[in-house]
Amino acid sequence: MIELVLKIIVFGAVVSGIWALVASGFSLIFGVARILNFAHGTLFVLSAYFGIVLVKNIGVNNYLAFILGILFVGIVGVIVFKLTISPIKTHEVMVVIVTLAIALLVEQFLLLIFGEHGISFPSLVGGIQNIGGIKITNIRILSLIIAIATLILLEFFITKTKTGKMITATSQDMEAAMLMGIDVDRIYLITMFISSILAGLGGLLYSQIFATTPIVSVKALIYAFAIVILGGLGSLRGSIIASFIVGYVIVVTITFLGARWSEFVMLLTIISILVVKPTGLFGVEE
Amino acid sequence: MWKVAIVVLAILVCIGVAAAKDKVVIGVIGPMSLPEGQAEKNAVMLAVEEINEQGGILGLEVEVVVGDTKLNPDSATAEFRRLATVENADMITGGFSSGVMLAMMETMAETKTVFLADASSPAHPAKVAENYEKYKYWFRISQNNGTTFAWDLADMLDFLNANGLNIKKIYVIRDEHIWTDAVMNDLKPLLEKRNIEIIKDVQVPKGYTEYEQLIDEAESLNADLIMPILAIAGTGDVLAKQWGTLKPKVMLAGHDLAAIDPGFFEKTDGLANYEIFIADGGALVTAPPTEMCKKFIEAYKQKYGHYPESHQAYGAYDAVYIYKKAVEEASKAGEQDPFSPDVVVKYLEKYDPENPIELTRTIAFHKNHALAWGDNYVRNWISQWQDGKQYIISPKTVANGELKIPPWLAEEEQKTPETTKATPGFGALIAIAGLSIAWLRRKTK
Repeated sequence: MIELVLKIIVFGAVVSGIWALVASGFSLIFGVARILNFAHGTLFVLSAYFGIVLVKNIGVNNYLAFILGILFVGIVGVIVFKLTISPIKTHEVMVVIVTLAIALLVEQFLLLIFGEHGISFPSLVGGIQNIGGIKITNIRILSLIIAIATLILLEFFITKTKTGKMITATSQDMEAAMLMGIDVDRIYLITMFISSILAGLGGLLYSQIFATTPIVSVKALIYAFAIVILGGLGSLRGSIIASFIVGYVIVVTITFLGARWSEFVMLLTIISILVVKPTGLFGVEE
Repeated sequence: MWKVAIVVLAILVCIGVAAAKDKVVIGVIGPMSLPEGQAEKNAVMLAVEEINEQGGILGLEVEVVVGDTKLNPDSATAEFRRLATVENADMITGGFSSGVMLAMMETMAETKTVFLADASSPAHPAKVAENYEKYKYWFRISQNNGTTFAWDLADMLDFLNANGLNIKKIYVIRDEHIWTDAVMNDLKPLLEKRNIEIIKDVQVPKGYTEYEQLIDEAESLNADLIMPILAIAGTGDVLAKQWGTLKPKVMLAGHDLAAIDPGFFEKTDGLANYEIFIADGGALVTAPPTEMCKKFIEAYKQKYGHYPESHQAYGAYDAVYIYKKAVEEASKAGEQDPFSPDVVVKYLEKYDPENPIELTRTIAFHKNHALAWGDNYVRNWISQWQDGKQYIISPKTVANGELKIPPWLAEEEQKTPETTKATPGFGALIAIAGLSIAWLRRKTK
């Protein structure tokens, strides 16, 4: 029994870490700029494909490709924001339509180039660890450490640095922030960059443990969206806690009910919580 | 009166000219974003190119039209109808996915189009047997029935046990799909006869990736073998990768469609080493069963720069050639319209187990139009990935390699759970993360 509980704790933590990265990025850009970025899942897979091409086609070192993959989607995110989202950012429905169109376009492009079967980014670390009789791969452990470290860094950045405080101010009251001399457009760009690299980092870690396919972008978007709604739209901490709830629900379901029920039970749990608390766990009524 | 006769004659001549066949149209249908669909399309193009170079079919040039099922019954039936009625395809080949195939069979029956199909559910030939006149245009060309998959899997277990392994408990991971239900129905009694227990039967949906937990469970339940029966999930590579990383005390052997892809080893970063799979479709790049298969594989590589990405290529290539052969036989026998679907069916049926035809595989159809199974026809060869290469390891008649047990299972001292050291980069990354946090904390104070 102890082994079973330990297994759930270990596996749940790792799955949750990656989704926490993706969901926090999705939540961040919504919280600051009120943008529901439906191309967030696309950024998730794009980093992995870019990294894989760098390693397998150009022969770039794995670590360098990992960093370049993250930076690449950061830049893509900024370009997408500047060219397509920024001119329509006040029209929330238009933003959803445009970002969804971009997501579908990129998905079709990736399908044409790479096909639907999965490809993996080479693992940064090999081997396994034995934790209390449970074998767990080093890449899963590393992914969890990177995810937690990144989320701590994000928390420090948002709450302690000058730019972070400007992001917080903009998210609280955009007009007041402008009156205080904050360049809101610049803050939006920085936020989009951070949001994109969080998605990119999640995608690169995911493709090392599992495999990337263009369809995974939809899965990432659904997970990010569900987690963010559960945590409360715009609440960074809510998203992180919700990620762990989702991760553990999936692992517990696989353990006790079977793999085929995992996503069904996860979505049912989210709906049940939202029925009781429609604003999500940490959301506030506007 | 004679004027009327001339007018009628002129009209008949005009109709005759208009209806005269000036080309043969071959349709290929499949999920075009998947390797299976691409392989089908590429193989048909190659076969048609070769046939046109040799003068076409009965002197007529052959043209290819392509339809995309998108692995969805609605798209598949709409595309099939387009190929049959708008593009006027004389024969359609392809398919993939039993559920999609069932839907397409209805459109096939309605349009009376010869369909040399891919998919493995026994439900398809059962329809031919139940309502022959309606479904007779359907023939299975790519691989055997799900029933025969069970025979192949049971044979694989016999082979492993005969080679020193003691497989008594198996952990099944299979597609949550109609085709694996058929396999399981036939596999269970075969396992009972062999006193082999299924300790767990896990169904996974399309795109499922959390295999580590399942591998861990299989090991903790003392399974001797993890048996994948995976095609639609599309994540056999993830299973192999996670199995190769965890190195559990459990063999990985079964039907993993992804493992047939010659690029599979590279896609899994070499972690698929020692995975045993049954080579669906009766052919492997490294062990072609016929001379035509050997030539086809090399021609495919020359034309596309890589080997066939899935076994569907062999079926699609054979489909074009067997259709050509049936039409030519019909013409030789003096049939008035050798391209008529009813006539073509009659001549395709002549290739029965008593009179097989050797193409890239040895093809013969049963009365229900299922493909004949056996060492002398088409079957799933028991194969293994070994150091980047695929080898057929059984039956002996076609084997080009021998079974290799994964070293972590073969060596007694390595039987205890292995804890490998992480590479130096692992520690370095943790240190970098720690230092970054410390630096940021200092900076923000």
